[in-house]
Formats: sequence, C-alpha cells, structure tokens
Amino acid sequence: MKFKKPVAGAALALSLALGGTAAVADEIVIATTGGLMRNMMEEYFYLPFADATGTEVVPFDIEVPDQWARAEGMARTGDIEFDIVTATGPDLVGKADILETIPCDELENVKKYALPGACQPKGIARTTGGMVLTYNTDTYAGKAPATWADFWDVETFPGPRGLPDTGDRDWWLPTVALLADGVAKEDLYPLDLDRAYKKLDEIRPYISVWWKTGNQVQQIMRDGEVAMTMAYSGRALKVIQDGSPFAMAWDGAIRDTGYLAVMKGAPNTEGAMKFINFFYGSAEGHPGFIQSVGYATSSTIGLSQLPEDEQKLYATYPANYELLVDPDFEWIGAHRDELRERWTNWLLQ
Amino acid sequence: MTLSAFFQPNGRRLSSAGIVLLMAPFFMLIAFAFLYPLLSLLSLSVTEPTPGFGNYAKILDNPVYGKVLLRTLWIAVLVSALSLVLAFPVAMAMVSSKGPMALFITACVLLPFWSSVLVRTAAWAVLLQRNGIINSALQFLGITSEPIRLLYTQGAVVVAMTHVLMPFMVLPIYGALRNIPADYGRAASICGAGPFRSFWEVTFPLALPGVLGGVILVFLTALGYFITPALLGSPQEMMIATLISQQLREFLDWPFAAALVGVLTLFVTAITLLFSRVFRFDRMLGGQL
Repeated sequence: MKFKKPVAGAALALSLALGGTAAVADEIVIATTGGLMRNMMEEYFYLPFADATGTEVVPFDIEVPDQWARAEGMARTGDIEFDIVTATGPDLVGKADILETIPCDELENVKKYALPGACQPKGIARTTGGMVLTYNTDTYAGKAPATWADFWDVETFPGPRGLPDTGDRDWWLPTVALLADGVAKEDLYPLDLDRAYKKLDEIRPYISVWWKTGNQVQQIMRDGEVAMTMAYSGRALKVIQDGSPFAMAWDGAIRDTGYLAVMKGAPNTEGAMKFINFFYGSAEGHPGFIQSVGYATSSTIGLSQLPEDEQKLYATYPANYELLVDPDFEWIGAHRDELRERWTNWLLQ
Repeated sequence: MTLSAFFQPNGRRLSSAGIVLLMAPFFMLIAFAFLYPLLSLLSLSVTEPTPGFGNYAKILDNPVYGKVLLRTLWIAVLVSALSLVLAFPVAMAMVSSKGPMALFITACVLLPFWSSVLVRTAAWAVLLQRNGIINSALQFLGITSEPIRLLYTQGAVVVAMTHVLMPFMVLPIYGALRNIPADYGRAASICGAGPFRSFWEVTFPLALPGVLGGVILVFLTALGYFITPALLGSPQEMMIATLISQQLREFLDWPFAAALVGVLTLFVTAITLLFSRVFRFDRMLGGQL
C-alpha cells in the first residue's frame, strides 16, 4: 500500500497536466485475509473494477482480528486508512460504531441481484459458507449421518470426531449442541447455555481433534484422523473435489457469511459503495471466483451459472440454504464476553 | 586511559570498568528488547482496564487458570526428568568415546539444532497420527486392534518437547563429566569400588553441577514453551504460553494476557532464585569444582 500511493499520485499529476478532463484518479483500500481470498478478489473483481471505473483497488492483507485491532486504532485517532474491511456476522453488531451504513436501497445492482438478507445495515455479504457436518463416506457406507443428533450418536456412528477450537466456536458449538438435543432451528436463540454445555459434556470424550485452522481441518480429513467433523464448507469442498471420500450434511449447518463493510469516515466512501455495487452486478466475475475460493457469493447471477451438480456443494444452493441455521447476531454480539468466557472455562477445565 | 587499564593482561580478572564495557552491548540489547517490553506489559496488567490488581484477581478467581499453571509446571517437571534420564548416558558415551564414534555421537546430539523446532514438531505429528507409522506398527504387531489416539495428547507434547530440549541437558552434563579427571575413576577402583559404586559415589556427585545446569535450562525453557504444545497438544490440556497467546491474538485482551505473563515471570524468577540459593549458580554453569 505504501508504495502504491506515489503511483496514484503520479497518475493524478498526469491527469492534471493533461488538462484534467478525466476523473481524478482515485483508489480504495480493501482489507482482507491474504492468500487465496485476496488473489481471487483481485483477479475477478478489483482489476475489472479498476478497468471499468478508473478507481484503483489497493489490497491490504491482514487477518481479521488484527484488522479490527488496527481499525479500532484508526477510529480512535481519526486517521482512517481502510475503506472496505472484512467482517463476520457478529462484527456487524459489535463494530457497528465504526462502520458506515450501507444504502441497500440505493445501490442498483444490490437491489436487483442480492439474495434476501445479504445486505445488512452495516455490511453486505461477500461470500457465504456454512459450518457444516462432514463425514467419511467409507466409514459410514451403510447409513450416513445427516444431523447434529447423529454426530452425538456414538453408538450408531462410531469413529473419531473433530470440532473447531477457533473462530466463533463459542457460539457455533453451543448452537449445534442444542440442535443435537432436539431444539428446533427457530427456537435456538437466545441460546440456553446450561443445556448446551451439558450436551457438549457428552460428546467431549469422543473428540479426538480440536482443530485450529482451515488447513488443519482439511489435513485431518485427508489423513483419516477423524471420521466426522465440523468444517468450513469451502474447505470440505476442496477435500471432496480432490477425491477424498467425504460428504457434507447440510441440515443444521451454521450460515457463515463473510461481509464487506465500509469504515465510517473512510477516505473514499463513495468509491467503496461503487465497488460494492460493481461486485453484485459483475456477472463475469462470479463463477470463476466461486470455484476458486469454494464459497458462493450472494448475487443471484453468481452460483446459478455453475453446473447443477456443482451448485449442490455450496451453501447458497437453494435446497441447502433453507436448511441452514440463521444466527441471531444481535444476541450473539450482545453476549460475546459471556459466550467466550463460558467456552474457555469449559474447554480448559 | 588506555585499553590495557580495562583489560589487565596479567591474570584473568578484569577491572569493574572492563566488565561494564564488555557487557554494554548485550545489556543494551536486553534492556531494549526484553526489559522494556516486559515492564510495559507488566504495567499494562495493573493499569488497564482499571488501575489495580483486577486482572490478577481474575486469575485467582477462576480455578481454570490455576489448573493451566499447575499443568504447565507438571509438564516441565516431566520433560526435565525424562531429558535427564535420556541425556546422562549420552553425555557419558560422548566423554568416553574417541575419533569417529565421538564425532558421530556429537553429531547426533547437535544435529537437531540445525533443523527448526517447527520441522521437528511436525515430524512428530506425522509419526503419531492415526494412520501414522507408530499406529500401523502397533496394529501389525497385534498390540492394538485399531488405531489409538496418540496425537493431540499430553503424552505427545511431553515426548516431543523432550526430544527438542534434550540437547540442552546433554551439553552441560557433558561439560561437567569432561572436567572429572580420569584418575578419580581409577582411584575409586583401586580402593575397591565396583563400576556402579564408582559411578554413584564419584562420577555422579561430581557431575551434579552439570545436571543442575541442564535441569534448570530445560525446566525454564519448558515452562514457557509454545510451538510444540500448540501443534501437538489438545486445547483441553493447554499450557500457559498457549493461553497467553490466545488472550493476545484472539481475544485481544492485552491486560489479562499481561497479568498471565506476570504470573509466569514470577514463577520463573522464584524457581531461578531457589535453584541459585540451594545450588550455587557459578558451580552449575562453570562446571568448576
């Protein structure tokens, strides 16, 4: 980012020198995790956006917790450097103070193409996956597990299991525990934590891996370290496409959406909103992007371009989408500390 | 004043000004890169979010944190004991061998230093996994009927940490053993001591400073060890360094993490002081008798 500024500066000087009829060359800074997500966003959206509008996108690689630590610092000092940041569902509530409201009704392509619920006041869906139950199809060749109750049923479905100890497990795991205990999807929130942790006590001895990263969950699936695990659907998708004998059970998978959010007081708010509009309307970008990152976008002109068989592996495929748990981020955001403390105490005991 | 006034050439004692001069670069490094960050962290632990000892009270209030600390101490004890049992024979073999054999043993001890801890830890993950070589062997020999859980257990952490830290035990013991004149062993046998008695009453007591040096190095390193427990352990058996990192990186709770650092520092200091009181440090590390 540092060394791109002079380039933009030079472009600005050039356009002024040439008489200044062209729009002032501007840029937006987008913070995302580095690696695949950044590279694919750049290939399918940032560069086409720059071509179409003249607004340069400056990618900034950073992990989400670090990003918030920085963003909070920027908001404190008033020296905002990010235009668009990456947010999880709870962040839209927890960080609402430092985020700009998205004018959902004014962005043309968002109005036309966004799936219901994709545009929230403080953020708009970038990619959607699920925290999904995945299982080894060789181990469970006869009868396949289909729900979280089956994950808890160690008699019918014996075998080592995996659960996450990363990300938002402090509400993911109580949520699926309650599903396993028979609570209906609509009645999950507010979470009954006492009941959830009682249920988690039951499965604890059967968890052989508490995985920490997306790479690790793929590795334990491939190596046969687990027969069943909760996994990011995009990660499980890659393992399945690489030929490992795994399948996903979407019933009760937790919707996990990564959002684009705009920082309040961002240097180029207008450019940020323009990018969001472009992202939702760019039909050419979506199929390649979806296939590369393993997560579906929430634009109706996205996933539908893929072959039907392939669509079934994504969370936003209609038949899957209706099975997902829709988390109550208001409640989760308001109870974050309690959830976290409860989780840490339970795991460490 | 000339340099020779600082470093008196006759004899090994330096003037105190000479000592200060020799220590200056190292001390500056320590002050900037260790003392300053440590002190600012510790001050964070008593000033945020409110001034006082609230963060420390939180550690005491919740038995979970005490449990993590006790577990960390216990693992450090286990690792030190295992390293000692494995390292002592190796050090003895190193002292008594000559030529290519000595070279070979030294290489075996030092080789691990040339590969990163991460690589050695990852190697253990490969060995211990469910379909790994150890589980396959156990099943092939009919000892187990299905794969057993080896990876992500406390046992995996202890074994791998012992492997990683063992050289720190071998070297001080080797130093101490090498300083024992060979005559002592001969004298013991002339006086009628068998090999066992000669070892137990002559060699071992004389090697004790090296043993204590090794134990303290391994024990203190193990207390703050991070990579191996994070990769091979289960979060249900978390050690304190992993807990600190989690509070810092994930929960962004710097003051509480700082308080945990404070507690760990307190323990390390207390244990170091205890060791230096009971067994004199200069003897331990110098190997001088």
